[in-house]
Amino acid sequence: MDVRTQSTGKKKISSAIKGYLILCAMIFVSWLVFKILTPDNFGTFDNMLSYFQASLIASAGAVGFYLVIVMGMFDFSIGACIILSCIIGCKLAAAGMGYAGLVLGCLVTGGIVGILNGFFYIKLRIPSMIITTGLALVYEAVANILANGEGQTLPADLRLFGQMPGNIILALLTFFAAYAILNYTKIGTYTYAIGSNEFIAKNMGINVDRYKFLAFVISGVFFGIMSILTISYGSSIVAVTGMGSMSRNFIPTMGCFFGLAFKKYGIPIQSIVLGEFMVNIIFYGFVALGAPTAIQDVITGLALLIIVALTTKTAKGAIVK
Amino acid sequence: MSEIRLQVQHLCKSFGITKAVQDVSFNVNKGEVHALIGENGSGKSTLTNMLTGIYTIDSGKFILDGKEVHPRNQVEANNEGISIIVQELGTLSGLTVAENIFLGHEEQFISHGIKNTRAMNRRANELLKQYDFSHIRAEDQIDDYNFEDRKFIEIIKATYFSPKIVVIDETTTALSQEGREELYKHMDRIRAEGNSVIFISHDLAEVLERSDTVTIMRDGVYIDTVKSSDVTEDDLKRLMVGRAVTGNYYRTDYGEKVSDEVVLSAKGVSVPGLIEDVSFDLHKGEILGFGGLSESGMHEVGKAVFGASYDRTGEVVLADGTEIDSIPTAIDHSIAYTSKDRDNESLVLNQSIEDNITLPSLRDLAKGPLQFLRDSALSAFAEKYATQMSVKMQGIEQFVSDLSGGNKQKVVLARWIGKDSDILVLDSPTRGIDIKVKQDIYQLMDRMRKQNKSVIMISEELMELIGMCDRILIMKDGKINGELTRSQELDENALIAKMV
Repeated sequence: MDVRTQSTGKKKISSAIKGYLILCAMIFVSWLVFKILTPDNFGTFDNMLSYFQASLIASAGAVGFYLVIVMGMFDFSIGACIILSCIIGCKLAAAGMGYAGLVLGCLVTGGIVGILNGFFYIKLRIPSMIITTGLALVYEAVANILANGEGQTLPADLRLFGQMPGNIILALLTFFAAYAILNYTKIGTYTYAIGSNEFIAKNMGINVDRYKFLAFVISGVFFGIMSILTISYGSSIVAVTGMGSMSRNFIPTMGCFFGLAFKKYGIPIQSIVLGEFMVNIIFYGFVALGAPTAIQDVITGLALLIIVALTTKTAKGAIVK
Repeated sequence: MSEIRLQVQHLCKSFGITKAVQDVSFNVNKGEVHALIGENGSGKSTLTNMLTGIYTIDSGKFILDGKEVHPRNQVEANNEGISIIVQELGTLSGLTVAENIFLGHEEQFISHGIKNTRAMNRRANELLKQYDFSHIRAEDQIDDYNFEDRKFIEIIKATYFSPKIVVIDETTTALSQEGREELYKHMDRIRAEGNSVIFISHDLAEVLERSDTVTIMRDGVYIDTVKSSDVTEDDLKRLMVGRAVTGNYYRTDYGEKVSDEVVLSAKGVSVPGLIEDVSFDLHKGEILGFGGLSESGMHEVGKAVFGASYDRTGEVVLADGTEIDSIPTAIDHSIAYTSKDRDNESLVLNQSIEDNITLPSLRDLAKGPLQFLRDSALSAFAEKYATQMSVKMQGIEQFVSDLSGGNKQKVVLARWIGKDSDILVLDSPTRGIDIKVKQDIYQLMDRMRKQNKSVIMISEELMELIGMCDRILIMKDGKINGELTRSQELDENALIAKMV
């Protein structure tokens, strides 16, 4: 049982329930608004199931990325990592390695990207945002070279993880792994300790650099899983350059913000998953309305900022960075 | 003859050109509370930080029970049988009580990489019960508890494994009387078990009452080790400062009439859950004291006067009718404020002394239509007021984080003296500060009073309120519960009667 969620006391249980209720209410309101606006082509049970499946993709990456965010670091190479992992996974799968190639290709590539991010961050001692922005350009270039400028398509017989139940099973295993890391290993405890006060954490004998490095590696592996789900669901991917991968950063990052906002209720992993679901409801709601992409982006961005601001409830006078 | 537990041998530590600890040697015996005293910057904390692995040793050694120890962090120190309770918060937000207690020692609950949270909580709850802190629950987030409870959790963290040496570094200044008594109880227990306490405190009465032996340091150098029963407070002061501390520690005047001119009035000031309907007048040239228990609301009064209190109702007005409702308004109208939480609320630690002193005066120092700031003007300003306050520093470019507690407080005061503030709100101005700097601050307050500046002094130290204030307002449960006027007959009992 999660010490941060269920523990043994009524107080903690009620806190978690409160968090779930808020999240469910927000999901319901999001659904209701678009259901009223466009009742015919939005929000049926099948629609909602489809939105939920789509949300699992970003959630799989976000639950790993949460470790990086909690430690006070950031990663601008998420999109580049996903594109590179998808291309390598796709190529290996198509080269006769089948599912093994897809899974290993994505996971190992994600892991290597995490290793590189962590290594350069620790060694160069410059902010993670700068490191990962620079490396994102490198990953994009490598992906482009490997793809030879062509779109990569996953063979039709290797798309088990793009539909039920394969995608649900993989996502659930991923969430369980993130939950276990956060609550049943030293890594989880140290993640919060480093995020709270790095200096004290260091004095407690925690090898801060090692755990920051590990956070990037774990995050990379989870983005590898996200890549498996992405390519299986979308079936093809195109390499981009010039930071064109940045748009893929947005949705997993938003999920992490939900995790941070609902950490006080003791349900960070759960709120990432439910938060991503809500992001998808809003997104598909706009699609159903036929709103132009620019308007969709503006309203989605604003809606999410409002939601996170309302749920975070920072105390008056508290410093926010 | 007592058995030796810890030998400190020829210990040295430098930070750049500053020799923080120079060739210090002394012994700590088994089963004793060994006080370590000295002015701010005398090297006490540097020494104990080396013992607990926070700083590395330049030269010299620690020998614990005959074996040389050189921990590289607190966990290694714990493994050697050494622990520390620090002055400020030593627990980490975002973790549970149990996770904080066992931070760095989780291995005992881990099997095949999986942490047994249930077992960890069970063990922590056992300890909480054993230490009589049953109101604290191992499963709760540490953030659910107040400063004092978090200190109690630190006591468990530092002592549950029966360390041979426990360093208590100026912890009592942050605690209420009740909290102090709790800490004393555990100090006595550690001593009774045959282990040792290195006790750092600026409260000399407390040092004499609670310790068996006292080692005095000055400017990084070992001065002497004496038996507590053989010395008086004055002896310790003389050893710490290097000369006799003269009698005019506090104000010596009595019966002087305070001006009738009111410079600031608080009318029905309330802050939900903290203070309720607080009204008072501050007169020109007056030192007005606020006393009470730590949670009485007196600290919030200081914030309310400075416009730094959120959700405040009621009015704080100056003589000319100006209402003080924000920090910029307060500063613009010559009000200064020093917070009890010096490191977090008064100083920009990772900036230089110059940056800190000039911060509120930048607008005054800017020149020309484009309001340019000249380096030379800023440096001269900072140099002038740092020197005036006798800040012990390598130069004004030195980072404030490198200074001792007393010198940090001097930087805060230098900032407001530079701003030539007419009303000073000083919250716990001598907290964690040595006797010499205390005397400097008292003398500064007295000078300001004589210059017709007005001071609000908020303090948990009853003697300094009695010694320095023209009037003392006692707070209880968020309200003013009594007013006492300066007199030679006034004693602590009169204040305590209104406090509890």
